[in-house]
Amino acid sequence: MAQLILDHVTKVFDDNGSDIVAVDDVNIDLEDGEFLVLVGPSGCGKSTTLRMVAGLETVTSGEIRLDDRVINDASPRDRDIAMVFQSYALYPHMTVRENMSFGLEESTDLDGDTISTKVTETAEMLNIGELVDRKPRELSGGQRQRVALGRAIVRDPEVFLMDEPLSNLDAKLRSGMRTELQRLQEDLGVTTMYVTHDQTEAMTMGDRIAILNDGRLQQVATPLEAYHQPANQFVAGFIGDPSMNFFEMEMQGDRLVGQEFAYPLSQQTRESLGDAVRVVLGVRPEDIELVSEASGDHDYETVVDVVEPMGNENNVYLNFTADSDTTFVATIGGMRSVEAGQPAVARFPESAIHLFDAETGEALKNRSLDELENAEPRL
Amino acid sequence: MREFIFRLFGRGRRPPDSDGDARPDGGTVTKEQTVGRSRLRDALDSDLLGSLPFWLPPALLIGLFVYGAIGWNVVISLTDWSGLGQPDYSSLSFAMYEEMLSDPTFWTATQNTFVLLIAFTVVTLLLGLLMAILVDQNIRFENTFRTIYLLPMSLSFVVTAIFWAWMYNPEIGLINVALRSVGLDFLAYAWLSDPRFSLAAVIFALMWQFSGYCMVVYLAGLRAIPTEQYEAARTDGASTIRMYRRVIIPQLRASTTSAAVVLMVFALKAFDFLFVLFGPTPGPSTDILSVMMFREAFRATNWAYGSAIATVLFLMALGVIGPYLYLQYSRGDL
Amino acid sequence: MSSQTANDSTSGIDFQRIGLYAVLVVMAAFYLSPLESGLMTAFKSQEAFIGSTPFVPPPPSGFTVEPWFEAWSRLQLGVFNSLLLAIPATALSAIFGSLAAYGLTNVDWRGQVAVIMLFVAGIFVPYQSVLVPLTQFWTMVGLEDILAGVPLLAERTGLLELIITHTAYGIPICTILFRSYYATIDPEMLEAARLDGATVARIYWKIILPLSVPIFAVTLIYQFTQIWNDLLFALVLLTSPENQVVTLSLNQLQGSMVQQYNLQMAGAFVAALPTLVVYVLFGEQFAEGVAGES
Repeated sequence: MAQLILDHVTKVFDDNGSDIVAVDDVNIDLEDGEFLVLVGPSGCGKSTTLRMVAGLETVTSGEIRLDDRVINDASPRDRDIAMVFQSYALYPHMTVRENMSFGLEESTDLDGDTISTKVTETAEMLNIGELVDRKPRELSGGQRQRVALGRAIVRDPEVFLMDEPLSNLDAKLRSGMRTELQRLQEDLGVTTMYVTHDQTEAMTMGDRIAILNDGRLQQVATPLEAYHQPANQFVAGFIGDPSMNFFEMEMQGDRLVGQEFAYPLSQQTRESLGDAVRVVLGVRPEDIELVSEASGDHDYETVVDVVEPMGNENNVYLNFTADSDTTFVATIGGMRSVEAGQPAVARFPESAIHLFDAETGEALKNRSLDELENAEPRL
Repeated sequence: MREFIFRLFGRGRRPPDSDGDARPDGGTVTKEQTVGRSRLRDALDSDLLGSLPFWLPPALLIGLFVYGAIGWNVVISLTDWSGLGQPDYSSLSFAMYEEMLSDPTFWTATQNTFVLLIAFTVVTLLLGLLMAILVDQNIRFENTFRTIYLLPMSLSFVVTAIFWAWMYNPEIGLINVALRSVGLDFLAYAWLSDPRFSLAAVIFALMWQFSGYCMVVYLAGLRAIPTEQYEAARTDGASTIRMYRRVIIPQLRASTTSAAVVLMVFALKAFDFLFVLFGPTPGPSTDILSVMMFREAFRATNWAYGSAIATVLFLMALGVIGPYLYLQYSRGDL
Repeated sequence: MSSQTANDSTSGIDFQRIGLYAVLVVMAAFYLSPLESGLMTAFKSQEAFIGSTPFVPPPPSGFTVEPWFEAWSRLQLGVFNSLLLAIPATALSAIFGSLAAYGLTNVDWRGQVAVIMLFVAGIFVPYQSVLVPLTQFWTMVGLEDILAGVPLLAERTGLLELIITHTAYGIPICTILFRSYYATIDPEMLEAARLDGATVARIYWKIILPLSVPIFAVTLIYQFTQIWNDLLFALVLLTSPENQVVTLSLNQLQGSMVQQYNLQMAGAFVAALPTLVVYVLFGEQFAEGVAGES
């Protein structure tokens, strides 16, 4: 088991003479046994980061350390790292058993019997014990996925790397595998770096998540921290579905003034803004309350544009006026009936708002967590 | 089979980001020195060394036998080597090329070569396209028909030349027997020995042999066009002929290009077939550069002169494949 | 295309469809006619083929198998030598092609494209532009003297030279055929093998090679046909009559038996038989090889 450290890691690709920075000065520490999810939109550099750790890409600058050993220039076989690929990358001409033994045969001096025992044990642990003599093409997608996992587990590596391992599974299988993978990782206690673009996986699986955008690390935090205390507007928008609502505002006296509405701020909130003038107001859909009548400063008359019933909840798309372009979304209980075209009053509680610097995107004020803590016993 | 052609000039270097999707637009790097260092390391790390044992021996064989020999051939063409002696590399000149330019045989052979190149390529492509379209009509026994049409491609030119010499026999060959039997006696020429028709007869026979190849290439092209396009054209009310002319055939450009390159290069190096039919001295009506080269070098032992003709042939081939390879390269297909 | 035919076939007798098959059959007859008239002629006596229509089967009085025996006796040495040439040269060029394609496709390094260019261009080089240096090269190497100690090989010098020459000129097309196949192999699988600890060579041996069986079939069949059918290299490189390959023998037979068409035809079939058998058995693979040349 090991500690994996990415220290100012940068990757520059040469694209016909012009440089493309795929990974820009990324610092991440993975504790021994930690499950870290690397998440971000397509092309954000998360796969490249993972591949650098695997040794499949060179590191342009910075250091990757495994238990204080710099492994930048070590070949993949000397790193003691196992990887699970999106396509599973099973060897089609080998049986499951051969697929799983291959790594041990190539990288260790273990004798055939030991390898065979290890493979059998691992296969049984993954419930694919009876499939070991089949070829990959005779397996279902879920079974192949298990073989790919088994191939990594049987090596008993220092670090697991997983590159979107669940994205080829159908939705139902995927949620099952999510929990199973998590449990496996916990049991094995192997440091794991897991790449995904799926924020549900990010939220549910990781001890911590690292959010990347455009090659830059945005935040490393526990899933709940990233959700409630996003470091910047990108993280706030990326994590959560439906996304956080954003409104561009300007500080005028004691209130924020936007195109469609103004939002008075309390003294306390104003202080946290410093001298920022142009800010972005963010509020999560589930924090917007639909009330029957406007009663406070933070209540706004709106018109319901579209309702998306999700069953357990409704996503209600609202406009400030019937012909306004600005749409924002509120999530309300599934049993409440709301219809398109009907007027509604939306309340943005001050305790739930986030404020970001409009220029840098940096979080100036995140929502207060008092309410959440109070609410905790309810869970 | 169809994927083959499109796979053929498959990917070269794998795109670096396995995300495969849009690369980050990221800015330029300010730390120049780190980039330089990493390039060097990239080069060393990129498994060049590991890959050497695999491609270097075959590359050396090609380098020696193909490219080395071409260079050597050019050098020989600059000497005045002939007869039994060894070439004298001390005085090089373009004498052979001057001789060539004033040699009427060379110009006749060049003219025939061009006629062969163009006529053979055009008729073979057209017949191949027609056959591909016919075979693509969802017919029964498609495999049998395809197998029959491609069969001549599997035969040696020595074999097919012997078949066609018999086919073209003026008295009892199948062609003239058939012509006479339908009352076309006046068309029953001595196809191979009549200078008016001999080159055309050769082109016809080569078309027979190569049109199956064109069919295979076009068929692959046709099968790559989604069925929806046929359906859309039908829905738009296009007739079959218009559909092919306006919708389908324009999409076969890549097939046409690659097949045409192969046919043209073949026409330049066509030797076996004509040699078996006419021997090394076919006379002005069917003399082509590749046969002339062989005659000059290996029958008359005018080695330098033969090499000069060979150099011209190589340059002509380069004129065909150079643009083709450049096209492939600039499309990133290499 | 299916939709179109579905519509067409709804009307009882479909004249368009009948016309289509008529054209296809006439074409098939056109492609087969030289072979058919050749085959019939090969079974006719001299008098019979002069007196009868070429494509008509021989009359009982004019039937003979004599030309086949005659042709076989004249070509058997050539057939034997051609096998001696084509089998090793085919195997060697396919093996080299596979190795080169792997090194140039699945292993990643800069500057590959330039090397690949040279390989691809090599397919199209006219043999004429290397013939003179080639003969000069083999004269200078003096393989016969080198092999003087091994009489069995020394007698076969010409064939050995031809094997090496055909191997070298076969590598480009073989490499391209293999490359087009290897390019479809999942790169993640090879990366997985690297992470599993396999070296570049082990990956080839344990993964690429076992997966190459279908493309080896294509390449071997195509290349065998090419080498078997070639005349030009044999014409300039083979000097001793004992080493004559079948295309040379057949060419001589044609030149010396100008009027004996039955013998010529039988000879042509004897010489073509191995390639015909291969073609009939492995037509699909041959077609793939042919298509790969473009």
